[in-house]
Amino acid sequence: MAKYIGLRLLQSVFVLFGLSLLIFFIARVVPGDPARQALGLLATQEQVERVREQMHLNDPFPVQYYYWLRSLLHGDLGVSSYTRRPVTTDLAQYLPATLELILFATLISFIFGQVTGVLAGYFRNSWFDGASRLVSYLGIATPAFVIAILLLFVFSQVLKLAPGIGRIPIMMQAPPARTGFMIIDGLLAGRPDVTLTALKHLLLPAFSLSVIHIAQEGRITRTSIVETMQKDYITLHRVHGINTRRILFKYLLRPSIIPTVTVMGLDFAFLMSNAFLVETVYMWPGFSRYAMTAMLNKDLNAIVAVVLVIGVTFALVNLLVDVIIMFLDPTVRLRQGGA
Amino acid sequence: MRIPRLLGVAAALSALVVGLMGFIGLGATDNVAVINGYPVITADPATASDWYDTETMYNLYSPLVYPAPEGGVRAHLATSWEPVGGDFTHWRFVLRQGVKFHSGNEMTAEDVAFSMARFIAMGRGNSGPLGKVNAVAVDRYTVDFVLDKPSAIFPEVLVLFFPVEKAVVLANKKAGNYGEFGDYGEDWLTTHDAGTGPYQMTSHIPGQRLDAVRFAGYFEGWSNEGWGPDEVPIEKLVFIMETDYTTLMTLLKSGGLDLEINGGWTLPQLQEIQKDLTLAFSSVWAQNVTVWMNSKVAPTDDEHFRKAILYAFDYESIVGPWMAFGNGETGILLPNMPGYVPIDPQPRKQNLERARQELALSKYAKDLKNVKVAFHFCGGLGFEEEVGLQLQADMAQLGVTVEVTGPPWPQYSAECSSPETTPNMTIFLFGPQSAPTHDYYTYAMFAPKGLGWIFEAHWFFDDPEIIRILDATRAEPDAAKRLALYEQVQPLIAAHALAFYPYQKPTLFARQAYIVGPQETIVFIGPSENMHMWRINLKAKEAMGR
Repeated sequence: MAKYIGLRLLQSVFVLFGLSLLIFFIARVVPGDPARQALGLLATQEQVERVREQMHLNDPFPVQYYYWLRSLLHGDLGVSSYTRRPVTTDLAQYLPATLELILFATLISFIFGQVTGVLAGYFRNSWFDGASRLVSYLGIATPAFVIAILLLFVFSQVLKLAPGIGRIPIMMQAPPARTGFMIIDGLLAGRPDVTLTALKHLLLPAFSLSVIHIAQEGRITRTSIVETMQKDYITLHRVHGINTRRILFKYLLRPSIIPTVTVMGLDFAFLMSNAFLVETVYMWPGFSRYAMTAMLNKDLNAIVAVVLVIGVTFALVNLLVDVIIMFLDPTVRLRQGGA
Repeated sequence: MRIPRLLGVAAALSALVVGLMGFIGLGATDNVAVINGYPVITADPATASDWYDTETMYNLYSPLVYPAPEGGVRAHLATSWEPVGGDFTHWRFVLRQGVKFHSGNEMTAEDVAFSMARFIAMGRGNSGPLGKVNAVAVDRYTVDFVLDKPSAIFPEVLVLFFPVEKAVVLANKKAGNYGEFGDYGEDWLTTHDAGTGPYQMTSHIPGQRLDAVRFAGYFEGWSNEGWGPDEVPIEKLVFIMETDYTTLMTLLKSGGLDLEINGGWTLPQLQEIQKDLTLAFSSVWAQNVTVWMNSKVAPTDDEHFRKAILYAFDYESIVGPWMAFGNGETGILLPNMPGYVPIDPQPRKQNLERARQELALSKYAKDLKNVKVAFHFCGGLGFEEEVGLQLQADMAQLGVTVEVTGPPWPQYSAECSSPETTPNMTIFLFGPQSAPTHDYYTYAMFAPKGLGWIFEAHWFFDDPEIIRILDATRAEPDAAKRLALYEQVQPLIAAHALAFYPYQKPTLFARQAYIVGPQETIVFIGPSENMHMWRINLKAKEAMGR
């Protein structure tokens, strides 16, 4: 197992190196002058030239990459030309907000996706199966930002059941950012009110993000349940009189959950880079919005860092998914040489 | 197992979710104003450059001189100034005594000289128009500025120069590129302030939020003269940075936003705000919607062709629905600026007959079928695209094809870096963000040594008379005589049809009715957003249940 994980990590390093090389050059050939973007409207041409020199923008691409890689190896991702702060500082500020959001969204989509999928599969062709199919299609077809606006309007504006924007209310004093996760920081600071409020603020944006994934995971789980139910060993268990709950949770759910877990891993990385519209609607100060701002302002260091973070997340989450599947599926474990 | 039992699990989860929601309220009426500005990145006066940075500067810092409502500048941190010698390369400023920094220390000439040295050495932000300046403290309250080139308008340029406290900056410097001055305190000043402004920063998360509290020791005081009995100074400012106007509308309607100072509302949103009796507008400055015509590429290299465009455009159609919000005629200067001269076409109506006459005089008259005009706007800005589509329809009536494209801002702005890469037509909005405002709309846009780039995407510098007059404006110390020069140059510039101006777009600050201001109308970005000029009516706020 350890050898397998080590090998996968080593492969990831090579993948990330290739990714950094690719995105570094792509970011530089996209039209626009990063120095001009950084200096603002009233900068003179002389000032622009000086900053181009400072940013090594007049050097050949390989030289620029050398400078960047050298800094990276020292833990320095450079300075954002937009926020004018170290990119690492920006990431430390924005990444936890998005991780908190998408972890919560993933949890919601897992719970609701599993419940609806199992029910729909177990009672296939029932009214519930039909209804869940219809709702799933709607969920898949409706963009997350539309759902975000609708939820905001209904639950925050009309019913006043949920807060509208931000991680906590504008007037609430945030606890010191120890982890960047508002829920945890509230507890660490002895402020359960912050934790509870942060949870409330998470609900609508997280649910907006999770709807499409609830629908997808629900459908996948349903299909998987239906397939597994047709296996001979399930029929055998039924014939032996094993009760329904035991069949469902011990023999049916475990193999059926494997495709869902695989999809969840992909969904997590997808959400990292695609949550920006929901983050915009809810004024969520997150990584995805930061990434979009970096792109629009041709913030070279930030763009490369953002892609690397997404790449690292993708690699780690997929590794985690593989490990989980190894635990869930003994055949995979045996193929990898561990019993 | 039955469906209802498993449904029960889902129902329980849902109940947990709804239970977590609870009822949300913002609490009692507070003396706080939540204000939306575009993302403020730097709070350092030496690196602040965009207009939203300037809005922040006017709250946290004070400029040496202040833009005056009638044009020109008036005393502020400096009480008087005069040129030393006759060539305008040496200026002496006398400072106000007793001005306190937020630390409580008094501002002196030493601080001002240090701030200017820092501004010039760092060479960013709004320092470009100053050139090279050597600052020397003559005594505790007198400072001399020696320029590398003569400038009669130097005092007016200083409306974007905000002194910092030398001792505080040096106490917080880090290692950096400026020798003994390290980083000149740049890193520290991103999230702290060292100013004399009416508000003092308490926290700043760049691009996200800036909090400030009222500075009781502000040198202009907090007199309530001219305000209503229940209108009191705002104690705390919370600047949020949101660019999505759907979200902002939600906030405004729910009372979560008190004032919005960037005015990016769409027409339906403005109409919705107008209908709501708890909301109101303030409007102080407008943006000049400007469509440059590149004089160096075909077919807009032909003056008659450019004039045909001027006359073919249907001004009334494009402005129509906006008229209720004050959008209207404009020209090289904004109409509310002294010395504004209306330019062709007059009246501002489509004149296809005149357009045809001009087209007939152009060198492209016999080959109109093969003529294509590229019109570029900033991708995502619908009102800019509308101008392009209107022109497309208008020019089609003359048999000319206009291709309307909206590349994203980085590409769009990069295109304007040279005459060869600039499209035939490019549309920009120019708010009064650089001083003197007259200079910004004339010299900066039409002189060969102007701001260049998107400010001069017409690329026409071929008329020596225009250049002579523009140079004369910078050499003329007498404001009245300078104004006469600006009046003289506008028709000369307009005669070449280098741009057309569809309309001026007022910046409408949407606000809760209990927020009142600004007390003065100053046509410049920043001073009107100085919250010293605004008040809050707490009784009205309470009555509205906010």
